[in-house]
Amino acid sequence: MSHVDKHNVRISGKGDRTMMFAHGFGCDQNMWRHVAPAFEDRFRVALFDYIGAGSTDLSNYDPDRYASLDGYADDVIDIARELDVRDGVFVGHSVSSMIGVLAIRKAPDLFSDLVMVGPSPRYIDDEGYTGGFSEAQVHELLEYLDSNHLGWSEKMAPVIMGNTERPELGEELTNSFCRTDPDVARRFARATFLSDNRADLEGLPTRTLILQCSDDVIAPQAVGEYVHARLPNSSLVMMQATGHCPNLSAPVETITAIRAFV
Amino acid sequence: MFKSDSDQAPDAGQDEDLLDLFEHAPCGYVSTDASGRLTNVNATLGKWLGLEASALLGRKFPDLLNIAGKVYFETHFAPLLRMQGFFNEVALDLVAANGSKVPVLVNAVERRRSDGSAAGMRIAIFNASDRRQYETQLLEARRRADTLAAELRALNTELEARVLEEVAERMKAEAALRQTQKMEAIGQLTGGVAHDFNNLLTVVMGGLEAIQKHVALVEPSPPVQRIERAATLSMQGAQKAATLTKRLLAFARRQPLDPRPIDAGRLVTDLADMLQRTLGETVKLETVNGAGLWLTAADPSELENALVNLAINARDAMPDGGRLTIETSNAFLDDAYVETITEPVSAGQYVLIAVSDTGCGIPEDLLVQVFEPFFTTKEVGRGTGLGLSQIYGFVRQSSGHIKIYSELGEGTAVKIYLPRLNASPPPASLDGSPEQESLHGGEETILVVEDHDDLRAFSVAVLLDLGYRVLSAASGKEAISLVKGERIDLLFTDVVLPEGMNGRDVADEALAIQPGLKVLFTTGYTANAIVHNGRLDAGVQLLSKPFSASALGVRVRKLLDET
Repeated sequence: MSHVDKHNVRISGKGDRTMMFAHGFGCDQNMWRHVAPAFEDRFRVALFDYIGAGSTDLSNYDPDRYASLDGYADDVIDIARELDVRDGVFVGHSVSSMIGVLAIRKAPDLFSDLVMVGPSPRYIDDEGYTGGFSEAQVHELLEYLDSNHLGWSEKMAPVIMGNTERPELGEELTNSFCRTDPDVARRFARATFLSDNRADLEGLPTRTLILQCSDDVIAPQAVGEYVHARLPNSSLVMMQATGHCPNLSAPVETITAIRAFV
Repeated sequence: MFKSDSDQAPDAGQDEDLLDLFEHAPCGYVSTDASGRLTNVNATLGKWLGLEASALLGRKFPDLLNIAGKVYFETHFAPLLRMQGFFNEVALDLVAANGSKVPVLVNAVERRRSDGSAAGMRIAIFNASDRRQYETQLLEARRRADTLAAELRALNTELEARVLEEVAERMKAEAALRQTQKMEAIGQLTGGVAHDFNNLLTVVMGGLEAIQKHVALVEPSPPVQRIERAATLSMQGAQKAATLTKRLLAFARRQPLDPRPIDAGRLVTDLADMLQRTLGETVKLETVNGAGLWLTAADPSELENALVNLAINARDAMPDGGRLTIETSNAFLDDAYVETITEPVSAGQYVLIAVSDTGCGIPEDLLVQVFEPFFTTKEVGRGTGLGLSQIYGFVRQSSGHIKIYSELGEGTAVKIYLPRLNASPPPASLDGSPEQESLHGGEETILVVEDHDDLRAFSVAVLLDLGYRVLSAASGKEAISLVKGERIDLLFTDVVLPEGMNGRDVADEALAIQPGLKVLFTTGYTANAIVHNGRLDAGVQLLSKPFSASALGVRVRKLLDET
């Protein structure tokens, strides 16, 4: 099975360069539905799902491979190589920003531009570093997920996946709507919230755009500034949009910022 | 707080009712502006959180949640709301002013402007404390069920493994039993054939002996010399056949044994020189005798035979030289060990004689067959395949146990366990080599009891030839009636007789009628009245079949001459 098939890759648009959009923890490629089409005129746009998200085949999920973000970065490299990407643009939301950094570290020829939406190299506070979460909070979060509460898994999974009682949303939409397997989500949360990839940022020469939302509890402004300070070739854009998902809540502002960068 | 719709104009009563419905409905109501800040919060929610509803205004909905709720709201539910415009029955935990958790179910809709952008949220919150408790119980029950299922699976796996082990063990035991039964069956067959063949051989050898004797009286001429040569060759063949049947009888545990108290250590030491000569110069012999070795009871010449046979096997297994070690020691076969053997072996004290070589070894699959007669790993013509069979029969007949261990390329060890002798006085025994003694006849009366006609005729002829007065009987009853009729000096009887009376019975009854009567038994068997557990009773005289005319003559004369 090709990586393109495995990761449910969708290609659209026309252009010499490829713009690859990567979703973060909590959704699938639908995350980009309001943003990606805006770049189809100039780029070959590639959307994909990580294994366990969207309509990917769970039998391909390898708990060991995805125990750390490296496994996800390897997926990005595999897909990009198969799509023959060179000097492309990688747009990563949330944890995928750091997955992009890891992928570029491993395969520098793939992407010459990096867009980070709400990045965080480490979620837990450390000495001289504000991540936004105390260690106790992250453990409370992980324990809550591990408790396998019906509210989070069995009961909520169908809600997250879509609502079959709204047929007007359309078959395709309802069935692939931010689908997340509860068990995969638990493991992804662990890999994400326990990660510390600060060292991988140091001196990365790639041209980078950092989009920082106001009032983002997942990736606070201090973290965006930290990332900006570590990447010598980066620019930081403070957005009007609040929350963690400007690609959904403020697509126009997001598109404008990215377009200005690319 | 409540704003009525401008299209309708409800009266004051309705206003009041609607306000009350909003404030005190059995669920929490919240609405937000476009940035997610709370613009309306009803009294019910405030009460659940231990706050004035107004104190919550301006905050954001995720601020009311625990950390997991905050994260999931941002990463999952806010995107969902934005994309599909609503979410239903999301289970979240609110954090009350006093820090306690309020489990709730949350429904939300997004208010949208005409351009599709978000204008705010309307959120309904249902207290789900009981439901969450129920879910927790369900989860706990499922966790327990999973644990039990896992335990059950583990138990099943273990049971399967145990069944497999049990089956393997049973199959092994059955294979061992089959092998034992096979050995028993081969023993029966071999013994039966050898026994009958022995009788015939006795007749053949007697005839040949007669030919030789009478030819000697005839004037020598070329035809007479040819007859003599033919008779000599036939006799040699018959003697070889007799040796073969003796070995087969040994395997079948039907050879007459003459057990005596044996110091196995001394026997080995005495035999060492001879064994070393057998082994040749390239094989070094070592003997190790255990201290305080018990006595055992066995036929010493058969034991020596066994050791010589084992030494020859060892030598053949070590063509390039090596070491042969013969060790003796006291040993104890316990119940557990004895249970693993399908042959009947008693637990208890034994004298162990272990013969180990450093030779090529025997493949495991062949090991079970080594005691079978005519089984040999040696090339054609090098071995008869009877050596180990004979040792096996001897050891088993001596109430002992034999075990062979072998490792390919390392060597082979044969362990012979002979039961410890507790009785100290040595039984009376047979004299050796009667054939070498001079042959004299006599005039005494001898009663020959033998059911085999040819053999009886042969014995009668031999004894008549020697000048004796001979009576004969084909059965025990017939014999007893003769004993009652006249005086008999010697009773020569087969052990196995038809019609319910064996040789022992005949002897006992004859002795009762004529005390002082001499008795000589003959047999190829040992498994009968005259022999207990394959051993001769003390003082019993026995001539093994096949016997020659001269052997019969010597034994009869010797016995008659004893006082």
